[in-house]
Amino acid sequence: MSGMSNTPHVPMIPTGEKASWNAIINSRIFDNINIDSNAILLDVLRDSTGMLGVKRGCDLGTCGCCAVLIDGVPKLSCLTLAAETKGKEITTVEGLADGAHLHPIQKTFAECGGSQCGFCTPGFLVVISALLNENNNPDDKEIKDAIEGNLCRCTGYQQIIESVHAAANILNSKEEVEDNTTAKIDPHPGIDRVQE
Amino acid sequence: MSKEIKGYRQQPGKLPFAKPGSGGREPFSKLRDLEMIPESEGGKRPQPKGKNRHDHLLTGSSVGKRTPLVDSNWKVTGQAKYGDDIRIPNELIGRILRSPHHYARIRSIDTSEAEAIPGVLAIETGQQHTDLFGVLPVTKDEHAMAVDKVRHVGDLVACVAAENEATALEALRKIKVDYEILKPIHNMKKSLDNVEEPIHDRGKYHIGQSNVQKRVFQEFGNFEGMKKPHASSKEKWKFAGVNHGFTEPHAVVANWEPSGRLTLYTPQQVPHYVHRSLADVLKIPMHQINVHRTFVGGGFGGKSDPFPHEMCAAILARKTGRPVRITFDRDEVFYTNRGRHPSQIEMNVHVDDNARICGIETDALIDGGAFASFGHVTTYYNGVLHTAPYEIGSFHYTGARVWTNKPASGAMRGHGAVNSRCAVELGIDDICTQLEVDPISFRLANLLPPHSSTITGFRITSIGMRECLERVREACDWEQKFRKLPLGHGIGIGCGFFISGSGLPIHWDPNKFPHATVHLKIDMDGGVTIHTGAADIGQGSDTVVAQSVSEVLGVPIEMIRVKSRDSDTSPVDLGSYSSRVTFMNANAAISAAIEIREELLKATAEICNVSKDSLVIGDRRIYQKKDPAVGVSYLEALHKAQEDRGALVSSGAYRTPPMGGVHKGAAAGLAPAYSFSAYAAEVKVDPETGITKVIKVWAAHDCGRALNPLSVEGQIIGSCHMGLGQVLTEEMKYGRNGSLLNPNLLDYKIPTVHEMPEVVPIIVESNDPEGPFGAKEAGEGPLLPILPAVCNAVYDAIGIRTNELPITPDKLYKQIEKKMKVLDIKSPLDLPNPTLEHSELQKTLDERTIQHRNRDQERKLNTEREPYYNGTLFGKVSTIPPEEQDENWTLSVTPSEEYLTKPRLAGSAWKHQEVRYMKKGDDA
Repeated sequence: MSGMSNTPHVPMIPTGEKASWNAIINSRIFDNINIDSNAILLDVLRDSTGMLGVKRGCDLGTCGCCAVLIDGVPKLSCLTLAAETKGKEITTVEGLADGAHLHPIQKTFAECGGSQCGFCTPGFLVVISALLNENNNPDDKEIKDAIEGNLCRCTGYQQIIESVHAAANILNSKEEVEDNTTAKIDPHPGIDRVQE
Repeated sequence: MSKEIKGYRQQPGKLPFAKPGSGGREPFSKLRDLEMIPESEGGKRPQPKGKNRHDHLLTGSSVGKRTPLVDSNWKVTGQAKYGDDIRIPNELIGRILRSPHHYARIRSIDTSEAEAIPGVLAIETGQQHTDLFGVLPVTKDEHAMAVDKVRHVGDLVACVAAENEATALEALRKIKVDYEILKPIHNMKKSLDNVEEPIHDRGKYHIGQSNVQKRVFQEFGNFEGMKKPHASSKEKWKFAGVNHGFTEPHAVVANWEPSGRLTLYTPQQVPHYVHRSLADVLKIPMHQINVHRTFVGGGFGGKSDPFPHEMCAAILARKTGRPVRITFDRDEVFYTNRGRHPSQIEMNVHVDDNARICGIETDALIDGGAFASFGHVTTYYNGVLHTAPYEIGSFHYTGARVWTNKPASGAMRGHGAVNSRCAVELGIDDICTQLEVDPISFRLANLLPPHSSTITGFRITSIGMRECLERVREACDWEQKFRKLPLGHGIGIGCGFFISGSGLPIHWDPNKFPHATVHLKIDMDGGVTIHTGAADIGQGSDTVVAQSVSEVLGVPIEMIRVKSRDSDTSPVDLGSYSSRVTFMNANAAISAAIEIREELLKATAEICNVSKDSLVIGDRRIYQKKDPAVGVSYLEALHKAQEDRGALVSSGAYRTPPMGGVHKGAAAGLAPAYSFSAYAAEVKVDPETGITKVIKVWAAHDCGRALNPLSVEGQIIGSCHMGLGQVLTEEMKYGRNGSLLNPNLLDYKIPTVHEMPEVVPIIVESNDPEGPFGAKEAGEGPLLPILPAVCNAVYDAIGIRTNELPITPDKLYKQIEKKMKVLDIKSPLDLPNPTLEHSELQKTLDERTIQHRNRDQERKLNTEREPYYNGTLFGKVSTIPPEEQDENWTLSVTPSEEYLTKPRLAGSAWKHQEVRYMKKGDDA
């Protein structure tokens, strides 16, 4: 913990030089981002590119809240140096939906109770989206193996696993997830519109 | 052109109103879903538990349907803003200097060097902010930062605001603190003794010169029957402390706005108490503060105290004139703690020759850590919350909560009830083994009936315990498994009982404020805005409140928006603790919605020229029950009701009815309703390694009525997960010198997906007479039974009773080795496997169960039932309080002199005199 030691402090990571960093995050080009050369990807994503959907839970690679896809592969951004990802393609939870069309796993997470407090949700979603990319019909064991690095304190994982199955069903049926911006319930039902 | 008509038509002859928002996906209103309407209201939903006072309000819109959380789309898209996601331009980063010592006096703090660092804008210490705060008004013992003493490693010493984190950390390193190290206390037993320097100077009153923060003594019932019991179980327990382990570390942003008002953005379960504490510490009136609750990344009780770092952020922002954001590292979360109390519990359960529980004696010493937090309540809850659901002949409780130099314990899911519940359920299992009876039969024959009173005077209304036990027994195939599985494979049962909302609010006020208030606003667009202060911490309180309003007004939940974040716009709510939100807020929401409903019915009656009483509400339509063609759309009724006044607004509130006894402490544990649960757990234990694996859990929980079954199941499964952590792996480990050894999520073992067994949630609906649509709580109660169920299953598997949690393999294997030595066995695989041959008593139990089942059913349906007091099973007249008919029936809250000659562990706290505490050198 910061400031708890009485001994003279030797920083674990000496302050680095400033460096220029670039990446494609959620299909958006980020160029000439000025970062510390020893910056952690998680900090760069949250503080320099505004990707606040990537969460910081433990700083130790134990909770999985900070998971992102780097060139399609799930990685923990708290254990990744930003410099390693220079020029790569990064997907965060913000990049899963296609405009207003949610990714099937986002839709089913909401519908099946996969998300309660929602803080671990971004990490789960990117990991599961990578799993579904490779395997659109995973069984329980494959799902568990995929999310074993993610901690969830609310759901007990069961409804998360159900959400993955439901999302796989959507993917296999090629059903389109509807546009989230279409009109919701009409408050004035019962009038025959055809008549007018 | 031919047209298909799918739903109701507009009443002929009436001009339709212009249609704001037309072009929707569902142009026709749905027919009323008769499956969701109770039989008494002409629907098809059976009512085996009788009617409910909200039955006539049901429209079949959303209550009882699996409803995704209303805010879930924010969460799945990463748009939900948690504490650290609040980024205000021009912000500063705040960091906190924490004590490296367990217990020390601060001689001086030199900040000059740190202040000289460029980019450091403010450094504050405790000296300037000496006002006390705390969650309970009677035990305010916290400061924004340490004033004279630090009381645990991680206690706040100073705080810094700087341009960036690196600068803030550098400043912390340059702050020089001169400590005089004091002798710390880590062992809770030692805190019972008088010491030279008690951890807190508690002002006016002190319990001796000791570190006892709260002591409780309670005796109820006839102790004659207990003196010669037929069978007894005596056990001394040790429970490790556990942390909530929410995934979001604490974070706070403070911003003094140009108006001179403070807005504090914080992921809080109880924004109102923060509001009060800020006013105390900052010395400004409450109306000058807006507490904004961000999304909360898990609370479980761990975000329900007002916290010093929240004060620090406000102080720093005030000094610098810029927004300040403080975010914790994970270790700071562990040092802030407020998790479940480590405790030592002595639990004696006595049963008479009729297999009735003639006595429970509990002695609980609980380790509160450095601050009082919710301590008063916890000390009571360790006792009173295991006096039900069974009928008991006598109950003796001594409890003490002590201060030690550890991070403070506080409220955590199942507050105060979890450990003693585990102990008492194991005691019952042990007795059943001695009596050679089935533990489920034993419980079924000793339950309190509906609408009864417990031994401590709690008012039980609905009780679904019997159904929980019966359904679990059937679902898990109990008869074929219990005591019949091979060595290393077992099944066990455990029960739970928990409050559904605390009967007394913490800030009790002579003005009789309500517990919860909800405001509604409906403007021309027809959408309903709910203002509530209930803190949605992920449990789905926003959803439940929206569902309740949706149900009463017959509008789909998509048309409801909940504004619950700002104290500026929400009516005061006491927050998300004690499992109160569904019960109290939904009740308040219903009464607010009833007002609007009346307006809509009145307007419809006027338009259609029919009587108001003949109308019912369906999906966005109000019409005559007997002739559905006569009616108007919701929007038309609304617009009529808005004539000459504009938006409809209403306010609803909920207050608990008067109840409970008059003895000291009678209010602790009082609730308008109680939840009940019974779990069976199947485990595999490897006798050669002591590794325990839970393979399946059947979890029946009586939540009154599942307003949102999706959430109820989520709460049940999630509770199992958290409870399994406590019973098998989780532990806040303190080393020999009292240091916390595992303040991170690598060494603090939260179960991952691989450790999680399959959970079969079984929802039992007992239909509470006062709950919203019959509902009770489902958030905390479901945690209680998992611990004893697993422990009892471990016994069934290898015949070893544990008395220490968590059951780690090393501890269990030590017990296996010990047993092998006693029995002179060479291999653990030769351990005797427990078996069961029913004794004569089993028949007594089965007969009593049948009688009681009939009794319970009758009491459920008969609205003119007589009172039923605990004690009836022991031959007392059921309608008169036992203390009025039996002079031997004790009701005492202070120990006798005889007791004090030989007190038990926590009971020895009563040896101290309550004295005016004198400071050194103070002669007055």
